[in-house]
Amino acid sequence: MIGQIKKPIEEILEYLEGKKKIVIYGCGGCATVFHTGGEPEVNEMKKVLIENGKEVLAAIAPPFGEFTCYAPWSKKRMEDYRKQINDCDAVLMLCCGDGLQVVREYILENEFGLTKAIYPGTNPIGHMGGGPSLFREKCIQCGECELGKLAGICPMTQCAKGLLNGPCGGTRKDGKCEVNPDNDCAWVLIYKRLKGLGELDKMREILPAKDWSKMQRPRELEVEPLSLE
Amino acid sequence: MVESFKQILKKDKFIITAEIGPVKGTNTREMVNNINFLKDRVDALNVTDNQSAVMRYSSVGGSLLIKEQGGEPIFQMTCRDRNRLSIQGDLLFAYSRGIENILCLTGDSLKMGDHPEAKPVYDIDSVQLIQLVHILNSGKDLSGNDLDGGVDFCIGASATPSADPIEPQLIKFEKKLKVGIDFVQTQAVYDLDELKRFVECSRNISSKIKILAGIVLLVSTGMAKWMNENIPGIFVPQNLIDEMAKMPKGEGLSKGIEIAGNLIKKIKDEKICDGVHIMAIGKEEKVPDILESAGILKA
Repeated sequence: MIGQIKKPIEEILEYLEGKKKIVIYGCGGCATVFHTGGEPEVNEMKKVLIENGKEVLAAIAPPFGEFTCYAPWSKKRMEDYRKQINDCDAVLMLCCGDGLQVVREYILENEFGLTKAIYPGTNPIGHMGGGPSLFREKCIQCGECELGKLAGICPMTQCAKGLLNGPCGGTRKDGKCEVNPDNDCAWVLIYKRLKGLGELDKMREILPAKDWSKMQRPRELEVEPLSLE
Repeated sequence: MVESFKQILKKDKFIITAEIGPVKGTNTREMVNNINFLKDRVDALNVTDNQSAVMRYSSVGGSLLIKEQGGEPIFQMTCRDRNRLSIQGDLLFAYSRGIENILCLTGDSLKMGDHPEAKPVYDIDSVQLIQLVHILNSGKDLSGNDLDGGVDFCIGASATPSADPIEPQLIKFEKKLKVGIDFVQTQAVYDLDELKRFVECSRNISSKIKILAGIVLLVSTGMAKWMNENIPGIFVPQNLIDEMAKMPKGEGLSKGIEIAGNLIKKIKDEKICDGVHIMAIGKEEKVPDILESAGILKA
């Protein structure tokens, strides 16, 4: 999931300066889990914008499970609000940057042929797993997963320096990370797991310089569309 | 320092290196003074690379200053601030200017320094950096292209003898040994039993490796406590802190010189390892006093 936090309302109001009629669009996926763009947050934002003199033409809160970043769903949802979207001065997105840009490009521009102001209401802070309350970044989507060599722990994400061949000299006495003492040193964790698995030899394998070209952005994928029927 | 460090490593002698910390700015007068003061008193001078992630005059620039003054530089290179292109370019430049020794380091976290908002690089790690230098030494670049004019670097690495658990550190160090290094400088050591354990482990993997124990000059009780709390991998034992604390105000430095001298003397007399690397951070002029205290050199 895409971890995210709310943007300060002052920043949002600054974006909306001079824009009177607003459509708010949340997300039934990550933004609902992270309480940035689920139904309660969409309704709260509507209230705040009205208090600040805005006219909210629509406050769209997709049901849980309906990801705004998935264009077939957001297209279907936004078609129900076509008129409000046509009439608004700006769309405020309470979701991650994927959702915002999918809506801008796939829906507003490509489907509706609209050049409409669109603004973010959240700060996405990483691809995260876990929950229901604590989430942690576990994967940087490097394009060539090394977890099979490293006991299922990714040092490119867990190690503050992303080191592939063992710990830096900064591991603390208690096996914690020098950069963030609250975190375990990824390499101490990998060492303990590999030892437990009887596979410590894997830690002795020298991993060559990583092919970061697999992370060259923007990446794209073409897949067989899912049937939503 | 008329001999190359590579030649010195081949000799059966107690090796002494010291550290030169570059200036924040362009006023190199003090650096040059320190270089001239130390260059004939030690076997080589290390130049730190944005040490503790604090932006300074570059380590290649500092190494060049040493070369210009007739000294033997060890160019410290971290993976924090450069990608593989920049690393290779800097290495080619350094070698073309007579800088033949490289110390391959990961690099302290940006969080510790004065530009914490910077984007860290770590395109490669210290083991891969050692591999990279070997590839350059073979006349190729990391992508396999031929070099027009090659390099022949003497390669050093660092190691941390104090860690718990120590095994992950040793496994990583084992990788550095396998890839191939000519010398290793340890993180600051104060506990010689720990150093002995580390040397024994290293010798089991490579009997030839030259090991230089890191000696950080303590200047005050406050500094000792600060390092314990803030510099992972450095552990000043309580008895040394107590010794420092007994000194009258302002005399901590002389005790620190004595402690460093004693450590060096024991390391040398008991032949624990092949030499020492003295880090007299900001007190470079005290290096001869430390050596004198160790019975090695008259100031």
